[in-house]
Amino acid sequence: MTVLDAAPADAAPADAGPEADIVYRPRGRVPGTAVGAHRGRDAGGLGTFRDQVPFLRMPDARRIDVRATLRDPFEGTHVRRFESRTAIEVWALVDLSASMRYRGAADRMALAAALCGGLAASATRIGDGFGLMGCDGTLREDVSMPATRRRGIGASVRARLLAARCTGARADSMREAARRLVGRPKIVFVVSDFRWPEALVAEVFAALARHDIVPVVLADASEDEDLPAWGLMELDDLEGAGRRTVFMRPALRRRWLAHERARADTLRRIAMTYGRPPFRLEGRFEADALTRHLIGT
Amino acid sequence: MGGATPMEALSRFAVDTPLVLWLLPLALLPFRASAQRVVPVAALDAGPADPLSRAIGWALRIAGSLALAGLIVGIAGPYRRGETVTRTGIGAQVSILVDRSGSMNETFAGRQPSGAEESKAAASRRLLGDFVGSRAHDQFAVTAFSTAPMLVVPMTDRHEAVRAAIRAIDRPGLDYTNVARGLAMSLSQFGAQGGTVSRALLIVSDGAAVIDPRVQGTLRAEFAKIRPNLYWLFLRTKGSPSIADKPAGEDTPQAAPERHLDLFFKSLGTPYRAFEAEGPEAVAAAIRQIEALERDPIPYTEQRPRRDLSWVAFGVALLGLLVLVAGKLAEADVRRGRRGIPQAAEAPSERIAA
Repeated sequence: MTVLDAAPADAAPADAGPEADIVYRPRGRVPGTAVGAHRGRDAGGLGTFRDQVPFLRMPDARRIDVRATLRDPFEGTHVRRFESRTAIEVWALVDLSASMRYRGAADRMALAAALCGGLAASATRIGDGFGLMGCDGTLREDVSMPATRRRGIGASVRARLLAARCTGARADSMREAARRLVGRPKIVFVVSDFRWPEALVAEVFAALARHDIVPVVLADASEDEDLPAWGLMELDDLEGAGRRTVFMRPALRRRWLAHERARADTLRRIAMTYGRPPFRLEGRFEADALTRHLIGT
Repeated sequence: MGGATPMEALSRFAVDTPLVLWLLPLALLPFRASAQRVVPVAALDAGPADPLSRAIGWALRIAGSLALAGLIVGIAGPYRRGETVTRTGIGAQVSILVDRSGSMNETFAGRQPSGAEESKAAASRRLLGDFVGSRAHDQFAVTAFSTAPMLVVPMTDRHEAVRAAIRAIDRPGLDYTNVARGLAMSLSQFGAQGGTVSRALLIVSDGAAVIDPRVQGTLRAEFAKIRPNLYWLFLRTKGSPSIADKPAGEDTPQAAPERHLDLFFKSLGTPYRAFEAEGPEAVAAAIRQIEALERDPIPYTEQRPRRDLSWVAFGVALLGLLVLVAGKLAEADVRRGRRGIPQAAEAPSERIAA
């Protein structure tokens, strides 16, 4: 409905120009055998030089480092090892609870769709797989997508998310989604407004602990900075928790902002335990900002 | 009034068109829907709990409910039924029996009034008129009699009507004095109310007549039943025989009707006083005395007219609506703030593209 109306308008600038890739770097070395773009844990015969090992550890006569062998006073034979480039799977766990229908300065679902579309395009371009899981009360099979390395899925991912109906009142299936992500460590983007109980946040992060978690907080200026200083507001919970009248005044606004900050701090504290601070996606999706965040943290 | 239970108090209220009251459940609507512009938010608990906001929210809901309920009840047309309230005051039931025989038109001197002189009827009218207005809770009935009794005003506490009746007693009288039938009618004015009430029968006459012995028995029975304090204001014309005077000749009722009426009254066994007045001052003194004697608690009824209460309902509705309008005016314009941001954000990018 409104989500669909707004989507082209928000998505148009991203489509118009050459879309900037989201550049990411996994934490540590990536295990696995699939050839990709990231530093692998395994050493192989191709790639960038990693170290030298005695011949007996890697009996590969083609890689004998002559210089090192001659230099060794104990006359050992050395072999060069090269770092393999490995692919990693990128997963986006998208909260599809009703609160994601929120429209402030920007449409929350449009932001999420733009992010995931960009992520899918960027990941598949460098040979990484991209998988998607939509979560509300139950895992949303209509939205979810197994990891694929097929290129050019960005648009379909975006369309999938824009078409998704957000009706659930909870995001509990994030736990199940975390359980489904078995196997080798992956990069997991948790895309949500994180208006969850603190226990659920901690639980989901703990379940995803073996992966490289990138929390993406969908925020909106109208939820904090742009709150009016004076006036009556009748708040209606998108998740069906009822209505509430708020008489906004400077004192309450200050408390409100402090409350929001405290919530953000809690999330940050939990996220930092697992490696990365949350990325605040607000107003409009910019791939460069996300890249800076991913490289910088 | 004092002992009215809540149910009785409620039963006094009624409405013109009760069918409209079926709409009253609509008054619960404000608890479901709000007149305020609704701002969808991701989570209600985003903000801190705020008792003031909560109170305002409830106030708005209640105001909306009151406004609807007030309008519906107002349209139904509420009113309080007219009723008769019985209260207790100090006073008496006074039945005034006025002689309207032709002789009342004469002065105390027995002449036709001329100049500043006033007739017996006019004097009694003046003095009785004052008597009627003096105490709020007295009840009066006025009966006139000449040959036949005339019911002028039944027992009532509408003093204005009683005064009007008394003002009329100086209209020229006619014919003769027939006390017996007048007494019977003025006694019947007391009605069947309880015996605690102080009752007075005030006879104003300037003469008497023979009471038929057959009627006497009936009257005695009536007096014994009602037991009024009997006052006889005898407007004695100068020169005419007094109540106490024994006639020179035969002492028969026909010869001295006043004396025999007096004797009859004395024989009734009810408290009885006769005032013989030979001038307006004497009449006034007699009336003051009567006034002083008749001081007892009396239950009296008060008529309350039907009162339209729709103004209360509409007033409540107005109050609710005013609160709602105030709430509407205090509304924060969140939407405009939200629209402003994307425009501001997009404007520069267009300029760059151009």
